[in-house]
Amino acid sequence: MAFKGGYAGKLLYVDLTKEKIEKVPLDEDLAKKYIGGAGLAAKLLFDLIPKGIDPLSPSNVLGFFVGPLTGTLFPQASRYTVAAKNPLTNAWGEAHSAGFWGPELKLAGYDGIIFTGKAKRPVYLYIDNEEVEICSAKGLWGMKTFEAMDKVTQIHNDPQIESVAIGPAGENLVRFAGIFTRNGRVAARSGMGLVMGSKNLKLIAVRGTKGLDVAQPDEYLDSVKAWYDKVLSHPYTEGRVKYGTTELIDMMQSIGRLPTYNMRQGVFDEWENISCDTYRDKYLLRPRADYACIQRCGRFVSVATGPYKCLGKGPEYECLSALGSRCGNSNLASIIYIHHLCDEYGMDSIGTGSVIAWAMECYEKGILTEEDTGGLAFNWGDHELIVRLVEMITKREGIGDLLAEGSYRAAKRLGRGMEYVMHVKGQDIASQEPRAQKSMGLAAATASRGADHLYAFPVLDEGEVFAKEIRQWYGTEYLPEIGERLSPKNKGFMVFHNENYSVLIESLGVCKYGTMVPPALYYEDIIRAIEVTMGWKFSERELKKVGERIVNLNRLFNVREGITRKDDSLPERLTKEPAPLGIPKGQVVELDTMLDEYYQYRGWDKKTGRPTKKKLKELGLEEEAKKL
Amino acid sequence: MPKILVVDAGKCVGCRDCELICSAQHYQTFKSSLSGVATIKFDEISRDVPMVCQQCEKPACQAVCPVNAISRDEETAALVTNYDLCIGCKACVSACPFGAIHFDDEEKRPIKCDLCDGDPDCVKICPSEALKYEEADRATMAKRRESIVHLPELLKLITREKE
Repeated sequence: MAFKGGYAGKLLYVDLTKEKIEKVPLDEDLAKKYIGGAGLAAKLLFDLIPKGIDPLSPSNVLGFFVGPLTGTLFPQASRYTVAAKNPLTNAWGEAHSAGFWGPELKLAGYDGIIFTGKAKRPVYLYIDNEEVEICSAKGLWGMKTFEAMDKVTQIHNDPQIESVAIGPAGENLVRFAGIFTRNGRVAARSGMGLVMGSKNLKLIAVRGTKGLDVAQPDEYLDSVKAWYDKVLSHPYTEGRVKYGTTELIDMMQSIGRLPTYNMRQGVFDEWENISCDTYRDKYLLRPRADYACIQRCGRFVSVATGPYKCLGKGPEYECLSALGSRCGNSNLASIIYIHHLCDEYGMDSIGTGSVIAWAMECYEKGILTEEDTGGLAFNWGDHELIVRLVEMITKREGIGDLLAEGSYRAAKRLGRGMEYVMHVKGQDIASQEPRAQKSMGLAAATASRGADHLYAFPVLDEGEVFAKEIRQWYGTEYLPEIGERLSPKNKGFMVFHNENYSVLIESLGVCKYGTMVPPALYYEDIIRAIEVTMGWKFSERELKKVGERIVNLNRLFNVREGITRKDDSLPERLTKEPAPLGIPKGQVVELDTMLDEYYQYRGWDKKTGRPTKKKLKELGLEEEAKKL
Repeated sequence: MPKILVVDAGKCVGCRDCELICSAQHYQTFKSSLSGVATIKFDEISRDVPMVCQQCEKPACQAVCPVNAISRDEETAALVTNYDLCIGCKACVSACPFGAIHFDDEEKRPIKCDLCDGDPDCVKICPSEALKYEEADRATMAKRRESIVHLPELLKLITREKE
């Protein structure tokens, strides 16, 4: 049966080894069960990726998926998901990105692309609506991300082409390499750029000129007005438009949640040098939007003079913290420049900042010596060193070869310094200091792709601004603790609830901004969006089950790879070492209590962290359970 | 006084909402070639320019149309296409100096901005006020006023003279 709207209706399978391309219709029952994006990725890759494979071998499967709302006018309907077995965690891996590429893929007629095998030579995929071709990437291999994307528009003589690409970091198998869009958006986490590089795949160029229908166009347009009003009128939106996510520097500093000097503390003495107003006054040229984006958190910046002169997409909160406070660096011009280098070389700035911050702390403690570093002094805040290291990591030169493995593997290889690696399951913790907000600690521990704040994105306990939504989302029975940052109580419920909603959002192909921060749109709006776009009627209960199903399937993937409760852990620094400064002074993350509560809501075994048979049956995952 | 559609490219953030709402309102689908406006992106300098029919006073499209399918709406002054007369020859597409008329391969007709009968949807949805619909005799005054604050040296000069 044909889709009424939202979907392109087919998937593209590309066997890179045999250079074979196949177009397969998307099954409607499958779409109803997993929606698209992250959900479809969870299902298709669970079935396709064999247990125990090396993530860098040709057996890994790399899938790109858009959601049914991607390409429509739904606020921030710009997203795609990329997934594969994660080379950082050896378990589930996925990353997400805004931009214009996802919508372009949908408008070319595809809900997803699944790459298997490994190309014998460097290649890129070129898609022009129905025309799909594997092309030689000779001449593109070795190029920086944006340079390669520009080159492809020249080769095909079409400046409208949207691309995603890896840079030299992905080619050189830097563990935290990302996948970049033309406007500088990045699917950063889980080493997805590394998997792409391991397949000899440089770039995916797409041109799509087809139309995208929705099931009920008139009702859709009426709803659009309501959705836009909700997002634009939310009190949080004004600051978001003005500062983007950079305002989080000020906010996190004020609540002691800004990771500083690796993740030793949550306050940074020099924070004013990287504050949102400093950024705005000195370097911001204008905000930037992605496709159908009314939040405009993208930044376009200029450093006009000095050694860090550059023009381009500007860093956001995570990057400002990773390359700034975590490395003790308050030279904002340098952060902008280093971010620019990370984009051009194609690596995750969180992974980059984390491994450098780790090395700086190890150097301070005498764990890493000048013998290891080749004579380089790793002093806190040395931005000239960071610039140099980014280049060395990309080229895997000297100490850069060790750092290119990411902090977890670097410590393992070194045989020292593991106590200073701020990771979960081998992936670095993002800039969300969990001793200052306990829900973030639980979220990082349970996220399927390794340390991650976005899988649950528990933000409603951050401050007063979300007091109304706390009640709307969780009811009143969990108050007041659920709204208190430092209380571990009821956070198991919060993370359970949020994960289910969050994976649904990623499955629809829209942004967590507008749906989670600010929480302007919620289940009622999603139910409406699905009805007017796809013509399907879902109840809130049914949609929550879809989310739960996806989370459980991600978990099954991890269980199959040997992940258990002991892997849902945090570094001892965060669970045993009291926060030294600011509001959270004296706090640790009470992870075990929160985990118990979380597993209970999940219906997972408290000892093993494994989904129970009963839960899997309830979610219709019996077949998948057999494949463990 | 008919209003004109004024584009302030300096304010455009590049979201393409104008394109999406245009094709959805006119053709009940999201398709850029069915939109009367197209956002041209310049990623390297981070600029986007919404390109739209200028509703020319001496319209080349109307002049070349062999069947007089393009006429001016008396109320809005928009150049509108009568698809009952249009033969799909694409002469207007070739003639427009801005490329503001697009030929859609499925509908088999030229697509251009018709100012939505005097209430353009793109203006209403634009999140950054890059598109405005205003009387011609005052349309650019606000833009002039806003742009002059970006010339601090000139403003200083004005202030000095007053002193």
